[in-house]
Amino acid sequence: MLRIREDRQALARRIEVSRVAVGTVLSLLAVAYWTVQIVRGEYYFSLSENNRIRAVKITAPRGYVLDRNGATLVENEPAYTLHLYRREAKDLNASVDFIVDLLGLSGERVASRVERGRKEPEFVPIPIAENLGIEEVAAVQARAAEHPEFAITVSQRRLYKHGGSAAHALGYLSEATPEQIKNAGNVYRVGDWIGQKGVESAYERLLSGASGERRVIVDSHGREVAEEARLEASPGQNLFLTLDLELQGIAEEYFRDKVGSVVALDPRSGEILALVSSPSYDPNWFTRRVTSSEWNGLLANPDRPLQNRAIQNMYSPGSVIKPFLAYGALARGLVDPEARIFCPGHAVFYGREFHCHKKGGHGLVNLRDAIKMSCDVYFYTLGQRLGVDRIHEILTSFGFGGPTGVDLSFEKSGLVPSEDWARSRRGARWYPSETISVAIGQGPLLVTPMQMARALAGLLEGGRLPTPHLFYSSQDPRTGSQLRYKAEFHDAIALAPEKLAVVEDGMWAVVNEPGGTAYGSRVEGVEMGGKTGTAQVVGKETTVRAGADKSKLKDHAWFAGFGPVKDPLMVVVVFVENGGHGNLAAAPLAKALFEARFGVVPKTPPVPAVRAEAPASPGLERAARREAP
Amino acid sequence: MIGRGLPGGRRLDLVVLGCALALAALGVLFVASATGGTRFEGLAGRQAIWVAVGLGAMIAAILFDYRVLLKFSFAIYCASLLPLVYLLAFGERIANVRSWIRVGHFQFQPAELAKIATALLVAYLFENEDDARLHASTIFKLGAIVGTPALLVFLQPDMGLVMTFLPLVFVGLFFGGLPARGWVAIGVIVVLFAGGGWFLLKDYQKARIGTFLNPDTDVLGSGYQVRQSKIAVGSGGFSGKGFRGGTQSQLRFLPVQHTDFILAVIAEEWGFLGVILVLGLFAGLFLRALKLAQTARDRGGVFLILGLTGMIFFSVMINASMMIGLAPTTGIPLPFVSYGGSSVATAFLAIGLILGVEYRRFANA
Repeated sequence: MLRIREDRQALARRIEVSRVAVGTVLSLLAVAYWTVQIVRGEYYFSLSENNRIRAVKITAPRGYVLDRNGATLVENEPAYTLHLYRREAKDLNASVDFIVDLLGLSGERVASRVERGRKEPEFVPIPIAENLGIEEVAAVQARAAEHPEFAITVSQRRLYKHGGSAAHALGYLSEATPEQIKNAGNVYRVGDWIGQKGVESAYERLLSGASGERRVIVDSHGREVAEEARLEASPGQNLFLTLDLELQGIAEEYFRDKVGSVVALDPRSGEILALVSSPSYDPNWFTRRVTSSEWNGLLANPDRPLQNRAIQNMYSPGSVIKPFLAYGALARGLVDPEARIFCPGHAVFYGREFHCHKKGGHGLVNLRDAIKMSCDVYFYTLGQRLGVDRIHEILTSFGFGGPTGVDLSFEKSGLVPSEDWARSRRGARWYPSETISVAIGQGPLLVTPMQMARALAGLLEGGRLPTPHLFYSSQDPRTGSQLRYKAEFHDAIALAPEKLAVVEDGMWAVVNEPGGTAYGSRVEGVEMGGKTGTAQVVGKETTVRAGADKSKLKDHAWFAGFGPVKDPLMVVVVFVENGGHGNLAAAPLAKALFEARFGVVPKTPPVPAVRAEAPASPGLERAARREAP
Repeated sequence: MIGRGLPGGRRLDLVVLGCALALAALGVLFVASATGGTRFEGLAGRQAIWVAVGLGAMIAAILFDYRVLLKFSFAIYCASLLPLVYLLAFGERIANVRSWIRVGHFQFQPAELAKIATALLVAYLFENEDDARLHASTIFKLGAIVGTPALLVFLQPDMGLVMTFLPLVFVGLFFGGLPARGWVAIGVIVVLFAGGGWFLLKDYQKARIGTFLNPDTDVLGSGYQVRQSKIAVGSGGFSGKGFRGGTQSQLRFLPVQHTDFILAVIAEEWGFLGVILVLGLFAGLFLRALKLAQTARDRGGVFLILGLTGMIFFSVMINASMMIGLAPTTGIPLPFVSYGGSSVATAFLAIGLILGVEYRRFANA
């Protein structure tokens, strides 16, 4: 039935209005879309690109470290990490039970790691176990079909092939600290490994190479969908060190049950042939993420294994300082080398009685004999003539009291006293009687073994002080091109050869003449010279610290040797903490090193503990390590 | 006049039909794009099936006399409310709301059908209440008719669906001839109730509205959808990144992209041109349908077209605004285009009813 009333016209008008309204609304929407898509299109386009593209770092393989003969000291090995992908897991608890059973892991630890991982987005795999052995990798892979939620990733891990050998020269890797990240200009990110101490730290930039980058397309879950661009990493340089692994091994074997350090240098160039600080530590600990108990053990060890004694510990040099003072006095014309001084075994200076180490005294001694027999009374007299400020001048000219510039961090400067030092730094004036102690290497005088080695090298080289260094050359692993270290010298003093000859002759006599303090350590086939030293452990604190342990009160033993005497090719400084007398505790190692390098007598066979070749399979090697306590 | 005269004075409007079909085709295409390579792959095929179902319903609605439907509209209306009551009592929650009835593999939102039934009853109301001036009793009846299903849906609770009922009230009031002071009164009431209604909203609904007002507060929560959608739309630029080339959609940064956010996919992959195409097709559909309303042979037919067109228009307006952050994300799909069986099928059913009015324009039966 049709019903049309008058208001049909009004209704038609309203519909016309609504058509205009609809048209207007849709037009306004079109304008709004225009604004978003055309006016601000580029902005949103860049946002969408940021959404989908992630930069993923490609870590460059770190350069190897080798000794001067090409024997590998540090390399990289594959490290296997087990990850759990939650998306693939049907039943998380069953998965955890399975893996705990399969690998014999601690159920609690795995559960807590899964619990922690659950806070991350689901696509982020949860690390379950690191450093899997090759058998464990095989076991997991054999069950991959039933348990696709477990996957193993391979990364490169630093391997110090000889464990604790040369650890202080090599350093170690650990995760970069926030401070290091900042100092390096944010090249590193949290979790990146960085060299700590040793050459790993000193040559970090050479070794680490330049990391590459992959630009990958990811979806909204962060899953990688495709790779858009790739900038390959450029691998780190291989680093050849000046160390000689054979000498290093001999020195370490000698120090197996001793505390102290050894520095062997080539005096002509400053190349460090051996560098030992004992006790040592295994840098591999850090790469495997030290457990807190291991770390605490390292820190709590009273012998401080992490400390590099050759450059970080300062000791009284004892009699080893005598040749330097002898030369200084000669050069200044303050002593006639042939003039004899009578040594009755003791002498009085400034109202105090000072003893010679030889009870009955040496009788009449000239300069040469005083060095050969290490006569204290002779050097007391010399010291009195020199005075502390001249001693200061002489010793600093040989590099004491300042860093050697060795390519290792945290080097200590030692201390060479002077009147000025006593006034301004110590706050108590210098007593002349102290000079008498300093003249035999006691008193406030402190040196590091590295300083001693460098000073001796400088003495032998006519005053040319070489800068000790471990860097021999670097090699680009792709092109093989090498970069050699250019020896640096610190031309401190021009020594007078004829006066030097007297001192060197005295040091020759120390080893090669009956009555010399190290006569027992003469070497067949090569003439070694040197000087022994015995530094007293004094001071109340030391006594208190040592407590009941009387061995800590025993004297420190020094020996600084060189050879061949006619044309020195090697300087060896041996320091044995609480070793007793230098001739007995320190000189024999120098003898062994010279025999190994120059001697005609049978070389000391390689020491298995240090020289053992790394097993072919990294997995087996790791398994063996794990069994060790 | 575009349209085809059929034998016996029957008429079929090809503009409305063509626009609806083109939009549905775009929908199937972009559902395919948005779901390709995901666990939703194959939904485009399903969507095509639903379009076919919708076309069947449309043909039935054209052929069946809408006057008969109007006559029985109260019964139809009551019948359509039953499933809503059932849902409230026994419905299973899907995505936190009880708005779906599951039959085998298929889910259906009975509220969509209730919308059609409500539109029928509103048209029937205004066919009989045909005074030049709008009576208070008519307004009350209108409120009751639309309010009942809206309340049932509100309790589910599905705010998006509730809102799609509102255009019926507006259509009734506006085309029924509410005077200016009536609009003022309604304005005052709405403001008062909006304040009270805030306390009835669920937390996530409040969050969405808060996010809409200040999208930067919650970039990863509720703000995430709006932000990602805007990035998708904006990054499409003038001509888009190409079909299936949208990074926002193909890499799943867009949320619910094959349903509510399908227009953002089109905007990203076909750019501003794609948006103009979609808006143009809707413009063609609405303007043409309103023309048909002007020429309908009876007042019931006029209001039926107005009510249905109003509801579809409202959904389009809100959905298109949602994509670029001009309206809060309320879960309103884009009619014909968004994936969703009930949505597509009822949209075509509505088109069938609109075309049915035109079909019988000169009929005597």
